Amino acid sequence: MTNIIEIRQLHYRAGKTFEIKQLDLNVPPGAIYGFLGPNGSGKTTTIRLALGLLRPLTGRITVLGDAIPDHAPRVLARVGYVPEQPNLDPVLTVRETLAFQAAFYPTWDRPWAERLVRQFDLDERQPFGRLSKGQKGKVMMLLALAQRPDLLVLDEPTDGLDPVVRRDVLSALLDYVSQRQATVFISSHLVHELERFCDWIGVMDNGRLVTEVPMERFKNGIKRLRVAGAPPTAAGAPFMLLAREHANGGAETWVVRDWEPGMAAYFETIGAALNDVIDLDLEEGFVELLRTFRSPRG
Amino acid sequence: MFDKLDPRSPTPLYAQIANRLRVAIAAGELRPGAALPSVRHLAAELRVNPATVVQAYHDLESEGFLEMRQGAGTFVREVAPESRARERARQASALVRQMLSEAGRLGVSLHEVQAAIADEIGVGTA
Repeated sequence: MTNIIEIRQLHYRAGKTFEIKQLDLNVPPGAIYGFLGPNGSGKTTTIRLALGLLRPLTGRITVLGDAIPDHAPRVLARVGYVPEQPNLDPVLTVRETLAFQAAFYPTWDRPWAERLVRQFDLDERQPFGRLSKGQKGKVMMLLALAQRPDLLVLDEPTDGLDPVVRRDVLSALLDYVSQRQATVFISSHLVHELERFCDWIGVMDNGRLVTEVPMERFKNGIKRLRVAGAPPTAAGAPFMLLAREHANGGAETWVVRDWEPGMAAYFETIGAALNDVIDLDLEEGFVELLRTFRSPRG
Repeated sequence: MFDKLDPRSPTPLYAQIANRLRVAIAAGELRPGAALPSVRHLAAELRVNPATVVQAYHDLESEGFLEMRQGAGTFVREVAPESRARERARQASALVRQMLSEAGRLGVSLHEVQAAIADEIGVGTA
């Protein structure tokens, strides 16, 4: 089957400084795709481009099999979108907000929406504008889920929410995904949160996609090595050396990518000793990856 | 049963979940015939990918610990006492391996570890 989101050679510019360049991105069917990157790296812009809310200069975007922006209305009918900032009328009550939203979506699941209202402990009589930040976050997720979308596009859906609310919102999301095998595209700078359930990772920095890999490969491939007696230039390494730092007494710390256990033999061939292989978690791997990406190539 | 899942650990989450269940079955905490939570329920509760739960259940099914009945759910199978004992022995070895590797990192000698174990057991049973 084809990808649920497919972006090819996308180019976009806003003002003089911000640019998205040569962006290729693939979200496979059924994936929970974590879209990572520091603030200002272009995550929200990419999402808005993918939904046809912004126009690219050049490039091709396909979502759920249809071209964007040409078929945006047909595509958006099947997409549950939680924008970074709530875009709802603050005067409407929660009940009115639900009724308003339901009118646009033939697929709206009313019993389930009502169950979520209870599960999220929302007061339907409150105007949206008077809700706490956590309650607003819950309403946004509820609206996206109750329309029974094939694709959920979530832009920092838990940013600024307290841990209890984050938990409730993510549980509801995963419950839905289990039922429907929907695809999820979720951006966040809360790396640990994504580590729990994402099976694909894309990393943005400065308007470019730095990497796009299955989560397991990302986590397994990035290691910190303790090395001793290595020559100043390590030629012919079977892995990618991201960083090399001197510790005390001739020992060094290497951060590598694409590591596999069999590669330990390489250190004998350069007359060095590999003393330890340490796993890096997603956040550490992410930080190391950005650090290398930003440093000038030598 | 699942309170200490660690998404940051190098051990994949599906393996952590499978291991918790193996321990619970070996310890008799989960009895033969007991129903396990549905994939949907457990994924939402643990906030993990549904595929992660499916993989854990599949692994345990192929090891003979669980039975997945289409449409009915997932159940603990009757496990022979020997294989439960074997599983407990495996867990004990894993605990010791983990302790020794941690001791190695901290520079604690085998002798010191043995003395500490004797000491702890002495305290625990006194």
